[in-house]
Amino acid sequence: MSFARWLARKSGLDTRAEEYAYGNDPVLGYTSLAKSADTWVSTTCGYCSVGCGMQIGVRDGKAVSVRGNPEHPVNRGKLCPKGLAEHYAISAEGRATHPMLRVDGTLERVGWDAAIETLVERMRAVQRKHGPESVGVISTGQLVTEEFYALGKLVQLGLGTRNYDGNTTLCMSTAVAGYKRSFGSDGPPGAYEDLEQADVILLIGANIAENHPILCMRVDANPRRTLIVADPRVTKTAMMADVYLPVKPRSDLALLNAMLRVILDEGLYDREYVARHTTGFAELRASLESVTPESAAKITGLTPEVIRKVALLYARAERPFIGWTMGVNHSTKGTETVNAINNLALVTGKIGQPGASPFSITGQCNAMGTREAGFSSSLPGYRKFESKDDREELARLWNVAVERIPAQRGLAYPDIIEAVVAGKIRALWIIGTNPIVSFPNLDLLKHALGQLEFLVVQDGFHPTPTTEHADLVLPAAIWGEKEGTYTNSERRVSKVNAAVTPPGEARSDFDIFLAVAERLGCREELFPGWQGPGDAFEEWKRASWGRLCDYSGMTYAALEQHGGIQWPYALGAKDAPAASRRLYADGVFQTDDGRARLLPTEWTPFPEQPNGEFPLVLNTGRTVEHWHTRTKTGAISILERMAPRAWLEMNPTDATVLGLRPHDRVEVISRRGRVSRIELRITEIVAPGQVFLPFHFFETNANQLTQSAYDPISREPNFKQCSVRVERSPLHAHEGAQTSLHHG
Amino acid sequence: MSLCGVGSEVALPAPPGPGEQYRFHFDMTKCIGCKCCVVACNEQNGNPPEILWRRVGEIEGGVYPATQRHYLSMGCNHCVEPTCMTGCPVDAYSKDSVTGIVRHSADACIGCQYCTWNCSYGVPQYNPARGVVGKCDMCYGRLTQGQLPACSAACPEGAIRIEVVRTEEWRKEFLAAASSPGMPAEDHSLSTTRITLPGRIAQDLRKADANRLQLEDAHWPLVVMTVLTQVSVGAFCAIGLLELVGARRHRGAAIAALLVAAIALAASTLHLGRPIHAWRALRMWRRSWLSREVLFFTVFAHVAAAYAGALWMGLRGAMLLGALTALTGLAGVAASARIYLVPGRPAWNSLFTFAEFFLTAALLGTLAACALSGLTAMAQSLFTVTGLVMIVAGAGKLFWLYLSPSNERHGTAVLLLTVLSTPLLLRYVMLATALIALPFAHGMAGVAAVAALALGGEFLNRYLFFVSVVPTNMAAQYLAPEAA
Repeated sequence: MSFARWLARKSGLDTRAEEYAYGNDPVLGYTSLAKSADTWVSTTCGYCSVGCGMQIGVRDGKAVSVRGNPEHPVNRGKLCPKGLAEHYAISAEGRATHPMLRVDGTLERVGWDAAIETLVERMRAVQRKHGPESVGVISTGQLVTEEFYALGKLVQLGLGTRNYDGNTTLCMSTAVAGYKRSFGSDGPPGAYEDLEQADVILLIGANIAENHPILCMRVDANPRRTLIVADPRVTKTAMMADVYLPVKPRSDLALLNAMLRVILDEGLYDREYVARHTTGFAELRASLESVTPESAAKITGLTPEVIRKVALLYARAERPFIGWTMGVNHSTKGTETVNAINNLALVTGKIGQPGASPFSITGQCNAMGTREAGFSSSLPGYRKFESKDDREELARLWNVAVERIPAQRGLAYPDIIEAVVAGKIRALWIIGTNPIVSFPNLDLLKHALGQLEFLVVQDGFHPTPTTEHADLVLPAAIWGEKEGTYTNSERRVSKVNAAVTPPGEARSDFDIFLAVAERLGCREELFPGWQGPGDAFEEWKRASWGRLCDYSGMTYAALEQHGGIQWPYALGAKDAPAASRRLYADGVFQTDDGRARLLPTEWTPFPEQPNGEFPLVLNTGRTVEHWHTRTKTGAISILERMAPRAWLEMNPTDATVLGLRPHDRVEVISRRGRVSRIELRITEIVAPGQVFLPFHFFETNANQLTQSAYDPISREPNFKQCSVRVERSPLHAHEGAQTSLHHG
Repeated sequence: MSLCGVGSEVALPAPPGPGEQYRFHFDMTKCIGCKCCVVACNEQNGNPPEILWRRVGEIEGGVYPATQRHYLSMGCNHCVEPTCMTGCPVDAYSKDSVTGIVRHSADACIGCQYCTWNCSYGVPQYNPARGVVGKCDMCYGRLTQGQLPACSAACPEGAIRIEVVRTEEWRKEFLAAASSPGMPAEDHSLSTTRITLPGRIAQDLRKADANRLQLEDAHWPLVVMTVLTQVSVGAFCAIGLLELVGARRHRGAAIAALLVAAIALAASTLHLGRPIHAWRALRMWRRSWLSREVLFFTVFAHVAAAYAGALWMGLRGAMLLGALTALTGLAGVAASARIYLVPGRPAWNSLFTFAEFFLTAALLGTLAACALSGLTAMAQSLFTVTGLVMIVAGAGKLFWLYLSPSNERHGTAVLLLTVLSTPLLLRYVMLATALIALPFAHGMAGVAAVAALALGGEFLNRYLFFVSVVPTNMAAQYLAPEAA
């Protein structure tokens, strides 16, 4: 500011009146002129997997505002607070703008050609020395499906390593594994419409009011529903419940099995459905021999009467809906818990009907896309590595030798990290994820990254806690800067569009993948004639044709027109593109015999039980203002204003014992590490003996505390329970501007 | 393309008729605390993140698992009798005759921030970057064109609606329908926001941030202005009285006291966001105590200048001017004190504020009398008595605050006794030292040293007055926005 301007302002002239001017915008109505756009670009939100339709307002090549798309079937014009501020992510400080290569210990700017050449040469050098599988790739759930499809081919067929997984293993792999085991394939069977049509909605470990607020709109639009919420914490969602089940940490499996037992005992299951469409009923029944509401009451902390009541509510419902998220998935018993949920839906025959579905509410905006097309946990189109037919089908489609298609999946994310520690993987390419904040047991991960010969991090932001460890940083375009499709939780494929150009030299992940393929010399073979995401989409449509996740009837134009289309939507499909679709309505599943599997499951206590030294159970989770590791939302000042830092929730009973008071700064200590100077919130939101810590904050990283314990089937980490103790932090000299009131 | 909010289930009612106005209806049973309204409001108004015209506060009660946590989403309450408006010295506020919306004009505002004290709900917020206050205007520009306010349009749960209320009926209903845990007790402004509470409310439901105490702004220009006007008024009273009883004309002292008044008034303009428009503050003297304070002190300064001139030139009738100076000055001090008697600042809202302001004038006035009278025993004892009264009043106020059932008053005492204990102690050490030292003071240097101690103590006390006040407010978020 010039001196004259400063003086004018200080003397009292309204020098900034223009910034605060209002006017009539043809789209937004009467509003701050700073938000007025000259063009509006329709797209889909890039945060969670609810998949809200929105429009980005662009003026002079800059994203200046966003609005919910009022015509979009998912969100009907509404957005959550993150979505409402999403345009700030694009112009946020800390965007990665140039490729950076570590030279003599410091990251220095290099050109794209040199960057790609370095990536390929270093990867190839490691592979020459240690074998093709000594290279690992960890991607994300936040690229567009076209990019996932391209990346999968690039990694598996071009780079030639199977050790490729996504951060989706930190959130959704349990649901994937559970669906595959029960139904023979991944794919959530229901639709959001079910939330409006169900008469009973059971949410297990799902805090949708915090994490998927736009879905609450659907629940509240349903006047007939009885909402049951099972959560150890009195979440915002628990406050919406008609029946709140304050279960003990990770006792959900015991609850589900007891419910199943009650349903079987009372004869409230659908005998005909079980006989026609399932196998394993006898084994399931036998496995429940020792399970009773009484035994489950001891485990869950609920009364046998409540368990019975909830079982009957579910069994007698015409349209029961079960939704779950991370409370179930983040667990060493996660996959079995998903199977128990599926068992409930199967024995009652309540699956794929309006209002009735066992429904995994997904995390990231396109976790579904990588599951469908990604070539990491399965072959594209939910094909199985193990199936010769599937491999041959793809080999024909791609015009490659069938031997090049792996017959077994590579290592999952946590196993890639352990392989790094063991020296089996020597180079890693991390794309669009921030493991230094999101991966459990941080010290082990840091040790692993330190072992690597070469680490590439491709991200929209730099520096991030992870790019700081990189040997090569590739600047990527983010949401709002690139084109493609996302699939949301209800299998709705929606169009994503570029509103502005990426900053500096940043390029779309798609372009980066093609450039790497070019350098590897496999571009024409794997991506023949490809120029843009549209080319990938066309090939992916062919790859998905005839599969459960059939895209073949879709076009970009139709996706734009209808606000997304739910798969399966086959070429020549008779139903209207916009119609709600569900899976398995006919009782035919994706198993060899077409029958769903009823699978016995068994509750066991979570791995790290509290003891005298670590007496509290730590639960981790989210807050509505932030997204994952805050690389985006931490750079958005309005969201930071509303959620400026982490806090630790503790019950007053425990606080009294520890002599702690509200707003005290405390240390949280587990066997593996410590989180320091976190602000204490003494609250009845958590039960005595439990504490809660939001995981978004690098500064107070919950993963300093969490453990390396994984679901044996899905390989998902047990983020939700570990044992800790809490101590008051030593006082700092500068403290004093704030104190707390202890009165009445 | 349709307008934002159109197609939503929330609709606008027909415009209010005679005797009616628009109001917000907040349905606590629907709110899930997602804060979409907060972001939408800031986007609508282009505000920086430090300023939130709509805020979401948390309230909590009950015992696990029967815990209750609820949210309050509040913009402006568009009161029937808005205290922001009645206090405003420049008529920047108006109550729209058709809609009843309390509107604020950034053009008229001089940034005195008096409205931020007058509103018990913490609604008007000062924007230092622009030098003016701003607040929720219910999206007047949208409403009058048939568009929903941004908060209401953005709410996924339909928890914020616009309704029409008959104001005369509302006067009877508002006590029940506008009250909620986490909201300040109703004051004289008659908030129009209707709040629907859940059917079952825990007895102990209260602000999640109830334990959080933070220092308020020190308002340094006001510390200087209030103390120095009081010093000047006290000194002129002493000069006048000495002229009356001793027939001595302290013309040098009068010039000095006038200079102090000039510094005080100059300092006061520095408190304004827009000092160049300071003169406008005279405008609303019929209604605003701030205008009256400005008026009295302006008159005081002019009369005092005339008095000092008359003394200097030895004119007859100076005594009459002296009496006028004292009267307008005392009126100014009274108006000054009256400004702080607002329900939104409970620690200020008592006669202690009057006592403190007049005692400052008395302490420095009697000290001036000591100096001018050559340390007469009479003047000395008056000074000592004033000082002792001050200590007793100060201790009494602290006890009164500490024992108060009001969280805000008790909070002020806690702040004074914890984070502010050092300056509080220092203030009394300075005062006590001044009282003890005066009898031993020799010559002008000695008296000046005592005066410096006494004045320093008063500055410190006024600083504590400003920073220790705990405003009433609606519930806020648990974490303070800035790291402590």
